[in-house]
Amino acid sequence: MAGLELLSDQGYRLDGRKSTELRKIQARMGVFDQADGSAYLEQGRTIALAVVYGPHDVRGSRAKIQHDRAVINCQYSMATFSTAERKRRPHGDRKSTEMSLHLKETFEAAILTHLYPRSQIDIYVKILQSDGGNYSACVNAATLAVIDAGIPMRDYVCACTVGFVDDTPLADMNHAEESGGGTNLALALLPRGGQIALLQMDARLHQDHLDTLMEAAMTACKGVSKVLDEVVRQHLQETVILTGE
Amino acid sequence: MMIKTEKTLCLKSSRGGKVRVVREHYLREHVPCYSTLCQAACQNEGKTLSGEVTHYVVPDAGVVRDFLEVLEFRELQGIVFMQTACQAAQHSRGRRLYNRLRGLLKDPRHDCIHFANEFQMYSYCPRGKGETQEKWQTRSIYQAAVWYHDHLAGLRPVVMITEDQEAIAEYGSRTSGVYVISTKEYLETFWPDLKAAQELYSSIAQALQERESDSTEREYAEHLPAEVLEAGIKSGRFIQGTLNVNKHRAQQEAFVRFEGSANKNTELNSDILVWGGKHRNRAVHGDLVAVELLSSREWRGRTTALHEGLGEDKAGGDETQSQPMPTGKVVGILQRNWRDYVVTFPPWEEVQSQSRNSQRILVTPWDYRIPKIRISTQQAEALQDHRVIVRLDSWESTSLYPNGHTVRVLGKSGELETEVQTILVENCIHVPPFSEAQLREMPTNSAEQPWSVEAVEASSRLDLRDTHLVFSIDPLGCEDVDDTLSVRLLPGGTRLELGVHIADVTHFVKEGSLTDLEARSRATTYYLADRRYDMLPAVLSADLCSLLGGVDRYAMSVMWQLDAESLDVCKVWYGRTLIRSSYQLHYELAQSLLNGEPAEVPELSRARANEDEGERSRRRAELLEALRLLTRVARHLRALRDRGGALELEGVEVRAQLDSSKNITALVPKQPLEVHETVAECMIYANHWVARKIQESFPHQALLRHHPPPRQEFFNQLVDSARTRSFAIDTRSNKALADSLDQAVDHQDPVVNRLLRMMATQAMSNALYFSTGACSEEQYYHYGLALDRYTHFTSPIRRYADIIVHRLLMAAIDAEKGLAPSKALASNKDQEELAHQINNKNRAAQHAQKQSTELFQCLYFKDKDPLTDERCTADAVIYAIRANGMLVFVPRYGLKGAVYLKNRENQVVGVKEDGSCVWHGGTLERHLDRISTTTTTGTHTFRVFDHITVRISVQPSRCHPLNLCLEVASSRPHQAPQAGEQPKGRGRSELVQEVVRLAEEASQQAKEKKGRGKLSKEEREFRQSKQPNLYSLLQEVAQLALLDLPACEALGVGA
Repeated sequence: MAGLELLSDQGYRLDGRKSTELRKIQARMGVFDQADGSAYLEQGRTIALAVVYGPHDVRGSRAKIQHDRAVINCQYSMATFSTAERKRRPHGDRKSTEMSLHLKETFEAAILTHLYPRSQIDIYVKILQSDGGNYSACVNAATLAVIDAGIPMRDYVCACTVGFVDDTPLADMNHAEESGGGTNLALALLPRGGQIALLQMDARLHQDHLDTLMEAAMTACKGVSKVLDEVVRQHLQETVILTGE
Repeated sequence: MMIKTEKTLCLKSSRGGKVRVVREHYLREHVPCYSTLCQAACQNEGKTLSGEVTHYVVPDAGVVRDFLEVLEFRELQGIVFMQTACQAAQHSRGRRLYNRLRGLLKDPRHDCIHFANEFQMYSYCPRGKGETQEKWQTRSIYQAAVWYHDHLAGLRPVVMITEDQEAIAEYGSRTSGVYVISTKEYLETFWPDLKAAQELYSSIAQALQERESDSTEREYAEHLPAEVLEAGIKSGRFIQGTLNVNKHRAQQEAFVRFEGSANKNTELNSDILVWGGKHRNRAVHGDLVAVELLSSREWRGRTTALHEGLGEDKAGGDETQSQPMPTGKVVGILQRNWRDYVVTFPPWEEVQSQSRNSQRILVTPWDYRIPKIRISTQQAEALQDHRVIVRLDSWESTSLYPNGHTVRVLGKSGELETEVQTILVENCIHVPPFSEAQLREMPTNSAEQPWSVEAVEASSRLDLRDTHLVFSIDPLGCEDVDDTLSVRLLPGGTRLELGVHIADVTHFVKEGSLTDLEARSRATTYYLADRRYDMLPAVLSADLCSLLGGVDRYAMSVMWQLDAESLDVCKVWYGRTLIRSSYQLHYELAQSLLNGEPAEVPELSRARANEDEGERSRRRAELLEALRLLTRVARHLRALRDRGGALELEGVEVRAQLDSSKNITALVPKQPLEVHETVAECMIYANHWVARKIQESFPHQALLRHHPPPRQEFFNQLVDSARTRSFAIDTRSNKALADSLDQAVDHQDPVVNRLLRMMATQAMSNALYFSTGACSEEQYYHYGLALDRYTHFTSPIRRYADIIVHRLLMAAIDAEKGLAPSKALASNKDQEELAHQINNKNRAAQHAQKQSTELFQCLYFKDKDPLTDERCTADAVIYAIRANGMLVFVPRYGLKGAVYLKNRENQVVGVKEDGSCVWHGGTLERHLDRISTTTTTGTHTFRVFDHITVRISVQPSRCHPLNLCLEVASSRPHQAPQAGEQPKGRGRSELVQEVVRLAEEASQQAKEKKGRGKLSKEEREFRQSKQPNLYSLLQEVAQLALLDLPACEALGVGA
């Protein structure tokens, strides 16, 4: 195929969104009882499940212990049925390892680790269904799970991807758009202060476009943060009602 | 708020298996309807449908796919293209059709819009289980049409047109106000007057029907599917490139030139030969194809012999071949590049013998490179010997020829008007007269309503009317003066001020206006041998934008303050001005003033008769002083560029120009006047500084012009030819080339240097426009002018690129002042697209100009008897040697062509004692720099740069363009008996006029029924300068190379 038209002349994308519109986000917190915190998040057709254990004593090698802060341990995996063709290896491949590392860096920047010296926090994220923007779905889900676990953070960490087609930034790309082979910038933001927790981009992009792209990514992340905030508040209300009675 | 749904698609995976894919699909309530009648306050931005129509029409997917051409008629209004239909069309017919549709939707002259029905909550209908794709598409479009009707509160009926009879039966009377009818019925009911559309419809419909009924044995191998091709190209198994058919061996030879640098086969640095029709596998000249290389045992060489009779192929096996070169076969076509073709219908008797049983006939395209086309029509008898525009539809593997349908009749072949139109169509030049709506945008300037300067403009512009002495120097009788000059010594005496003032076309042509769009699609003014098609309406090009003497005009100016001594630039000012040109000089006059001759200046002697003598001489002195100052500055600028390595090509320029259009001789004598150079230099300087300015202000979207350095191997012919006269040509840099060309002068024969320069020009690549965002900075370089940045700024009346540059410059000035731009600038992508478009149009204009010149040359010689008429014999110079002949240049008519020394009966040219030549049995021996014929009468050797006498005759041709044919008459230089009585170099304009006169007489005698507008005297004499000045010639250095291409192709060198 000669390449799909990712953005029509009328400004519609393949799935009917406009360039700045996000996919529909739905989320629930506290989906498991055994874990300290957990969350389920759908971002369009990408589904992520995040679980948090901790803070607890450092397991395994004692060499990992940090005397002034908590160690964060992240693991990312994808379900074998998450993609259109069955995946052979759910975790441990290079992509997953890289993603785990990214998640770790993101949350080290967001969680107030100095409150828990000599301890460890585990974050496990699994992609149940993949349709583009896996990293951002993971971050958003993990944020909710961390909040559910009651671990203090500087702010919500909201992530979103932005693509660049026809000189226009496209917010929150889905799989079809990602596989078009253009630029894809992933941004994790602490929205209140506007601090960047992680910024990642693989493809080439002219320097001049970077500002517009960042601008679009920040706007998108702030949009995500509103949704997450609403989810947290609703969850709080529900628990208050339950415990109150 | 949007609603999310999901839809399931079945797609093919890369490995060919089927994959079920679920995609999200978002629906929304507010999708703009783009109708001015909208009651629901839709956000309709941009193009909207007018409310002044009786109905809206919605074509369904099938109609968009097959009959888009019919919908392209501008008369059809109120067309709503549904998203479903557009996508279906893209899916089934590919990018090309879709891009055409997009162009249609963007073009404000067409009253049609796109409605995203699948994203509208209520007009979307999901595909049901087991429903076929076509059924669902029809249902969706119908649903959307109903929605559209309801959305507009039933103000206009909506007509859905379809080719599907079932749909008509099913939906025809379901909703009131929404009609479903067939396309045929629609055209007949609603547009009974639009006969052309109905004819086109039936022509396409017939072609479609024929295609369905076709099923015979296979003539060609099937093309491979697109995925396989793509994978093959990536892996390097197939090679992608554009197919170029050799005009002289159209049936046999075609070449594929690589595209892009991503070529894995690095050992392949030449073109790939595709030999024979089977290997070409239905590819047509210009298509983007994928080829597979054959094994090297099957490789062939290209034919090097000159080929008599274009296009015809003889089965002779003794053709001389060059070294075997990579040979391949076409395995698939990535992109068809079919355009409109002009064809000639065969005479009726031939048709009858051709095929009795069906109405299909084979027609022959005008262009040799295009195969014959099969057409089904009932009008074959009426159209015999007519030239007709035809479009190709398809080429099945079962068919020997492609299928097509007729679009429009041009006229009887052989008539001047038809032939000129043919040239325009063949070059894709579309120049209808300016429409009323466009002319309504124009300001008026008539005796009753004289145009005057507006007060607002006068206050915002810098007024130079009283402070500056502004004058123009152009060819004599020039009407469109787009550049004027001024120069003065600033008070204090330490600084000079040089000004270049260009017509402010952008003031009159607002961006996005109808005139602007028309100018953009034309891109340039087209000059044919006998006529001109202006880019802008005459009121602008010849009047309000022309900087005539003695009247107030708006201008865009560049003014430099130069140090009076060193002439370094101290300050540059760009901006809009108001000027009044004091003198409208012509070159010869300016030069004689400079030489101190007592020439009359009309403005001085005419205007102020009552003034005293002292005043007059003071003004004369003032003008003289300005001219001298100007010359001094120009000399300095020239020297500066020379130091930078500027290629001294203007000599080549002029002389090469002479070759094709003789009327320049009158303007530019052999020794160009210095004043030509002076004006040219100022214009180059202005262009250069404007280029600097806009490139600095808009580093990514400025429109510049670059001239890439030529490839060294193209110089081979030049170097070889020069060596025969023991001249060394150094081609390492532009400066070295210029210097060595200057030295290569044979004092006995001035033509030698001229020919060498011509060959150098041939080797040059074309100068091209580009957007600065698309190239790296090193590539901005202009090889010919030796400038790091260059653009076109000084002729906005004739070129659209200059208009863009003017707008960019204004935006840059505004940005400097801190004003927000009134309109967002075009992005790099748009700019690049535009540059590409302009480049293509410029090339088309060049081709058309050349072909029309050839046409007139042929018509001129057509009625003359080559044996008796003195005018058909002329002196010629050999400039290259081929296997069975040589290439010659005829200085008198500026012709180039091939001369054969061997004919089809294998006879060669024998030379008698007195130099006259006859055909004899004999042999031919070819060397690098000479060719010898040996016959019973003796041996004669022709060498490069020898003068011979040739006889010129016209080769008759019914379907193709006429050709001139050259024959050796004598091996000695032509003794011109007319040297005294006739001025050397018969003006080509004279030639053109004679042909036009003859054509007119002929048409008068025939008393044509149709009152085809005869060319009036005014039209014939085209007073507007053809190439206004030397400077503009200078810029087209490389484009001229093009004029020589066919000659090279004939020899299989250039291809």
